[in-house]
Amino acid sequence: MKILAVCQSGLGTSFMVQMNIQAILKAEKVDTSNIQVNHTDVGSATPDAADYFFIESTLASAVGSLPKDRVVLLKTLIDKQETKQHVNDILDKEGISYTAE
Amino acid sequence: MLDLLNAQTLQVADGSNLSWEEAITIAAQPLVDTNIIDPAYVDSIISVVKEKGPYMNIGPQIVLAHARPDSSVHGVGLSLLKTNSAVDFVDAKHPVKLWFVLTATDSQSHLGVIQQLMTLLTDKVAVQKVLEALSVGQILTILQKLDS
Repeated sequence: MKILAVCQSGLGTSFMVQMNIQAILKAEKVDTSNIQVNHTDVGSATPDAADYFFIESTLASAVGSLPKDRVVLLKTLIDKQETKQHVNDILDKEGISYTAE
Repeated sequence: MLDLLNAQTLQVADGSNLSWEEAITIAAQPLVDTNIIDPAYVDSIISVVKEKGPYMNIGPQIVLAHARPDSSVHGVGLSLLKTNSAVDFVDAKHPVKLWFVLTATDSQSHLGVIQQLMTLLTDKVAVQKVLEALSVGQILTILQKLDS
């Protein structure tokens, strides 16, 4: 499974989201051998680039071409709790086990 | 930790009479003064926000102003302006007191800075203290305590 954090420039905020996702997976003791997390800019976020895309909600229109069921819109990028809820939803959907804190 | 934020790159201002463009320009001034960026970088940030909206409002009252690396950037840099009054970032739904400016020369060089910055930003207690700080000295004290 591939998760991409996306932002306008692919530099700063997307990496913050990537760090949060990775920290959450680690804290929940998820086997990440088949999970890749990366970050990129909106221009590189094509439907086949990843299984799930995390993006700040005001940029939603910039990723309008991505399938909506694979796009997670974040209200507050640095809010780990919000990101965690979405990560857990994806893990549930994919049948990947994790340790809820 | 966060050694890029120091007495030179931290500023505290009243803010009540500032526009968001002015807040970002003031926040970036120490990086212009030390030749880490040319003023054109600040113009790039402002144009991106005008074009794409307030997505750089990454958390409550926090903006991480940045643009793509280009010829106006000469190094990795970080600066912070804290305004005692909130300034509307683009619109009234995005009031901001912490104005970070981040510069990067490529897609890798600044990742360490972001990691350090996240240590601060994910610490809600520390962020609240910075929001309440009224002087550069107070902010430095808060940042130094993050180290220990």
